[in-house]
Amino acid sequence: MLLFRSEEHVDRWCVARNLPRRPIINLEQLWQLALAWYESRLTVESRRPGPDEIDVIFARLGLTDSFWNPRA
Amino acid sequence: MDDPTDFDVSVKLHVYGTIAATTRVPTIAEVAQGLKRRAEEVEQAFQRLFKKRLLVLEPDTGEIRMAPPFSAVETPFRVLVEGKSYFANCVWDALGVAAALHRDADVATTCGDCGLPMAMQVRGGNVVPYPCAVHFAVPAAHWWDDIVFS
Repeated sequence: MLLFRSEEHVDRWCVARNLPRRPIINLEQLWQLALAWYESRLTVESRRPGPDEIDVIFARLGLTDSFWNPRA
Repeated sequence: MDDPTDFDVSVKLHVYGTIAATTRVPTIAEVAQGLKRRAEEVEQAFQRLFKKRLLVLEPDTGEIRMAPPFSAVETPFRVLVEGKSYFANCVWDALGVAAALHRDADVATTCGDCGLPMAMQVRGGNVVPYPCAVHFAVPAAHWWDDIVFS
């Protein structure tokens, strides 16, 4: 995932690479994801969240589209 | 023989502790020396941690490429914490460095489109509001198909 100055810059980036525009999230949502994934990363019990936990994290942030489904 | 799960935890803590203290991602040899174990044992632990998606390894050497949120190689996501400069794998991981270290941080990066400098700050456990858009190019189910691109 990449950071852009605005949604217009996202659109230009997608057009230049012939890639579809995907979901955009805001900075506070990104910070909440960073906390959920990494807040305990330096501790004994740290691990990557499982699919069910990821569902809960995304839903809490309003990311409920199928794009956010972690299951292949 | 030790429980490999316990050893993996020791390896993980040593890797992350080394990065936090030095900003450098340690090699297999350095972890083996630090834990007084054989390099082969550390290499196997790295592989198990990769399967748990806690490390990303270089395919040719088995060395660490990513210990998320930290990157072993220079990236466009530099994170300054208390005078130390870390590299993160992506914009999510850039804030993840601050989250993992529980410290204020300054992220220096560039716009993915135009390349102009951008900056994010974490202060007192919160991200400072900043005009930007975060775009995910790859659906969540496929992030680990090519985690370096994602």
